Amino acid sequence: MIITLYINGKKESVECQPGEMLTEVLRRAGYVEVKKGCDTGNCGVCTVLLEGKPVLSCSYLAIRADGKQITTIQGAAKEAEEFAHFLTAEGADQCGFCAPGFALTVLAMKKELPNPSEGEIRHYLAGNLCRCSGYEGQIRAIKKYLEAEHA
Amino acid sequence: MEILEFASPRTLDEALHLVRDRHGTAIGGAAWLRMNTKTMPLGVDLSELGLDYIREANGSIEIGAMTTYRELETSPLLEARFGALFRNTVSHIVGIQLRNIITVGGTLAGRYGFSDLNTTLCALGAKVVFYPGKIADVASFIQDGEEWPFLIEKVLLPVSARASYQQMRITANDFPIINAAAAWTGSSWRIAVGSRPAASRLCKKAMVLLGNEPYPSDEKIGQAAVAAAEELQFGSDIRASAEYRREILPALMRRALMEVRG
Ligand SMILES: Cc1cc2nc3c(=O)[nH]c(=O)nc-3n(C[C@H](O)[C@H](O)[C@H](O)COP(=O)(O)OP(=O)(O)OC[C@H]3O[C@@H](n4cnc5c(N)ncnc54)[C@H](O)[C@@H]3O)c2cc1C
Ligand code: FES
Ligand code: FES
Repeated sequence: MIITLYINGKKESVECQPGEMLTEVLRRAGYVEVKKGCDTGNCGVCTVLLEGKPVLSCSYLAIRADGKQITTIQGAAKEAEEFAHFLTAEGADQCGFCAPGFALTVLAMKKELPNPSEGEIRHYLAGNLCRCSGYEGQIRAIKKYLEAEHA
Repeated sequence: MEILEFASPRTLDEALHLVRDRHGTAIGGAAWLRMNTKTMPLGVDLSELGLDYIREANGSIEIGAMTTYRELETSPLLEARFGALFRNTVSHIVGIQLRNIITVGGTLAGRYGFSDLNTTLCALGAKVVFYPGKIADVASFIQDGEEWPFLIEKVLLPVSARASYQQMRITANDFPIINAAAAWTGSSWRIAVGSRPAASRLCKKAMVLLGNEPYPSDEKIGQAAVAAAEELQFGSDIRASAEYRREILPALMRRALMEVRG
């Protein structure tokens, strides 16, 4: 069947099977910046924003996204790049595989929580696993990024 | 997950017909179902039925079957009536990206042993409403099940209760190795334990021991916590042994009871 997705502001008609998950459909349509990690709902690497909310694209039925707005990291490139400067400055971006899902969750948090405490940041980001950084650098980077945004 | 035919009914009657008469599989968030490798002849999407709500009606709090966990943890109504209870219950489950997908209906229907939410619902004395209207206690449904096929429409909660949820996990984001919830309903205590690793159960003997005293002594609470561990069966799995679970439970139960008593 054909569904219509609004990906990064662009209308796309894509073919999908009824049981397919959103990751597969997005990657097939060329949005390979959406990464596939555990594919079981555990790691957060496949995160996209669906109508502005972060969801795991590996665990979201593609057919349900019909008619909806989807943002991948490319669609948030400008903001993500600004955030990435803070990540690299703190040595928190190593292999980089977790970065697209991680950055999108940070951007969603920035919209949802006006002035998050460290506890709230950790809680909001708990679903984004990173096998390299040990998280401390990421937390420093987020705090500095948010401080700079508020300055 | 392979689905051969996908239906998006617009009414509960139609959904029930597809589930009951055509043996369709109800699809909640699909986060659990998707890990199933079987082919599904007919998938019945429940997302167009208006079952996504948390509201007060007819002397209860009603939660629609398609309500997500993220909606539970951010609901101002649930916060006002139950404090941090729902946030504490679901916030350890993976991350908000998953909690934006998984549903109350899928959780109840699965009667999963590891469930955090089902333990809290048992302690609150929640009821499950099967369309077109049969009502059952969540605790009884989790214990005994329901004749298949069924369609869960919503859950009913008391309008308020003082309640606490406690859990223990080996690592963040993993399933709990044991969990416990306690609630003072205004006239009696209800306590439940889950992830034993079998599904949530009420601790009936311990509830009798606590009786209808809203402010039990520390000693009474200690006795009830031990009684809860004695009356339930525990099992061993890759996460913990039965003995370990039995040992840990009284500490969690004491914490829950003391938090509710104040
Ligand atoms: C990676 C991962 C980690 C998890 N970790 C935890 C955890 O730590 N603690 C925890 O408590 N839970 C955990 N869960 C489970 C989660 O909380 C949900 O209970 C589970 O995903 C089912 O919800 P769903 O909406 O995805 O249901 P689905 O996958 O859509 O459905 C599950 C079952 O319920 C049936 N069903 C769905 N809705 C209805 C309805 N309205 N009426 C009748 N039948 C229905 C379906 O046919 C299916 O059999 C985890 C899930 C995942 C994927
Ligand atoms: S790939 Fe989706 S959570 Fe890991
Ligand atoms: S930088 Fe390697 S997984 Fe995060």
